[in-house]
Amino acid sequence: MTLLASGPLIDWEWIGEHLDVIRAATVEHLQLTAIAVGIGFALSMALALLALQWRWSYPLLAGFCSVLYSIPSLALFGILVPITGLGTVPAVIALVGYTLLILLRNIVAGIEGVPAPVREAADGMGFEHWRRLARVDLPLALPAIIAGLRIATVTTIGLVTITAYVGLGGYGDLIREGLRRQSAPQASTLVILGTGLSVVMAVVFDLLFVGVEHLATPWARRPRLAPIEPMEPVPVAAIPAGGSLSDG
Amino acid sequence: MKRQHIVAGLTVLILFAATACGDDDDTDASSSGNEQREGPTVLIGAQEFGESAILAEVYSQALEAQGFQTDIVEVGGFRDVLFDSFDNGDVNLAPEYVASELNFLQEGSATSDVDESLGLLQPALEERDLTALEPSAAVDTNTFVMLTDQSDELSIASLSDLAENGADLTLGAPPDCEENAFCLPGLQQVYGLDLSANFTPLELDLIPDSLEGGAIDVGVFLSTSGRLTEDQFTVLEDDQGLLAADNVFPLASQELVDAYGGDLDTALNAVSAELDTEGLIAMNARYDIDGDDPDQIAADWLADHDLT
Amino acid sequence: MGDAWSDMWTYLGSDAAWTGRNGLPLLLWAQLKLAFAAMAIATVLAIPVAAFLGHVRRGTLLAVSIVNIGRAVPTYGVVALVLPFSLRWGFGLGFWPTLVALVLLAIPPIFTNTYTGVRGVPADAVEAASGMGMRARELLRKVEVPAALPLILTGLRVSAVQVMATATLGAVVGYRCLGTPIVIGMQRQNKGPLLAASILVAALALGTDGLFALVQRLLVPWRRQPAS
Repeated sequence: MTLLASGPLIDWEWIGEHLDVIRAATVEHLQLTAIAVGIGFALSMALALLALQWRWSYPLLAGFCSVLYSIPSLALFGILVPITGLGTVPAVIALVGYTLLILLRNIVAGIEGVPAPVREAADGMGFEHWRRLARVDLPLALPAIIAGLRIATVTTIGLVTITAYVGLGGYGDLIREGLRRQSAPQASTLVILGTGLSVVMAVVFDLLFVGVEHLATPWARRPRLAPIEPMEPVPVAAIPAGGSLSDG
Repeated sequence: MKRQHIVAGLTVLILFAATACGDDDDTDASSSGNEQREGPTVLIGAQEFGESAILAEVYSQALEAQGFQTDIVEVGGFRDVLFDSFDNGDVNLAPEYVASELNFLQEGSATSDVDESLGLLQPALEERDLTALEPSAAVDTNTFVMLTDQSDELSIASLSDLAENGADLTLGAPPDCEENAFCLPGLQQVYGLDLSANFTPLELDLIPDSLEGGAIDVGVFLSTSGRLTEDQFTVLEDDQGLLAADNVFPLASQELVDAYGGDLDTALNAVSAELDTEGLIAMNARYDIDGDDPDQIAADWLADHDLT
Repeated sequence: MGDAWSDMWTYLGSDAAWTGRNGLPLLLWAQLKLAFAAMAIATVLAIPVAAFLGHVRRGTLLAVSIVNIGRAVPTYGVVALVLPFSLRWGFGLGFWPTLVALVLLAIPPIFTNTYTGVRGVPADAVEAASGMGMRARELLRKVEVPAALPLILTGLRVSAVQVMATATLGAVVGYRCLGTPIVIGMQRQNKGPLLAASILVAALALGTDGLFALVQRLLVPWRRQPAS
């Protein structure tokens, strides 16, 4: 694919000889995704509980996450790197930052979406606040939460490629190598591999989450197609009661 | 429908996991057979271009064959970042270039005589607790390259010609060009040519193809680049002697050298004695054109020269 | 960080930051140019097709898939994939590969929202209008699209912010925009320009979001549609 046409589009021989490189990239990609979504989920859960306890804080918290989400990844790295240097730290911080808005929003919307009668019934049965949260609200909020995790994961998988610019990259590292070494016969292979594997991983996780959604909450109705919303804080009062929130 | 989703997803996930589990890649620091020396690990800094990575591997493998423990550190940038790494101890050895190094530390001092330049370089390095070991005969400077067709058309065969006829051409060079004495500032000083308005920063390896595709008019190649052998490229003559003695030499921290009392010097000097421009060009050609990996290229070169 | 912060102010105080081809104003303009072009092309491609499909009520699967696949494709990879072709076909570096990637990035939200919006127009309204003698194209223009406007605007807004933000990536293939000081800065010791450009890009993305929010409020003040 170089101007020299010095190699096939996909150099299988190169792939065969460099399986370890591909494997290392896969592992790095998975690790970064898992860490980012994991920390993001924990943080969002904490923030969500805060927001549910003190309603006035929600617009603030969501607003902050919204701002974070709007900052382009390269720019966010640019702001972090002078503080943290290159490497895992700025990468994870940025990746976590991008998961916060969608997760926070979906967790809150999901819990808020629990129909009032159900909550009242639970309270009436003597559930304390936290027990009710754990035993009633969260399970019913599950569709929304899983939907949020799904989007957060797929988005993160795409963003991990850009961490190549802070020394990591997962599959993005393959892309970067391919970009850099234009004359080498494996250039196009590297780019195609890096891009393709990233897409495959995203699709796999997307399917997995769809499967989990169906398994976990067979009773919830799921609209097939929903419009894409801007990442802005949804006013808590505006969530329709009993609705399941799923994004496009 | 749902079950198929899950099965498909799980299958692929298991495949991913299977490749992920298994041995971790070995680090570089395993020494084979030879007695391990007592002393600090040699941390070799590699800059963001192929030749640096190759030379770092050469040093690394040669030293390990002599019982040293080494590790290669990608500094993620060029000379200025490399110096930062030396400062904070992340790196204690690196392949560098005499004239460029001198110009980086003391603007404008380098000449085309390597001994003279080295004589000026050592004191400058000493101030920073660094030292230069024996330089090799291999020289790698910046070269300015145009497409043969275009250079014929515009009658530009040398840098002086470029100053005369080509002041509005676009230049493609690595990001450090604006501060590199052998790039924009040098062109300005020696030839009175200011290309900064039309300068596009590009990764070194992107430059030949960008030149070929006409996206830039003049490209900076390394003089040892494997692609210079192509007819379509013409190197512009440095008729006023901008480019100087950029011999490859091992830059080391004084601490590291002292720790090994001369053994490190001996090992590296043996490498430098064998390294020449032709060899470097051949290694770069394997990297640029064949797409071989730096560690393999280094290993083969070392084997050919009985250094492992 | 203190170093980088003071480096940044030094940089901003220097001529280099504001004049010449590497000055911030020109880099900003380059970024805007690229973003506008991508949005324009994506809009022209996506809206008519999506509106038509929404009108005939076909293509839900397409709309869903476009979004899912679009979200899964890393823009970085697309830019890298297009570059060699761009070079070979004489389109050069920088602008064109990035433009292609950005258009692909921009299409899904615009497409899906237009489709959903047009399709979601109440059937009786459509019947009433066609009963009054309106033909398909008129219907679209006078009834369906205006009714779908809130959602279409939302889609445009989401796209615009993403595009404005991601245009930064052009720098990795040689397009001189705000991403250039960032990408170069990663490899240099002086992080002043990097910091300045990063903050500027962040402000740009936020500003784009705010601008569209304003436009939405002006054009469709009577309702904001939640996810249906």
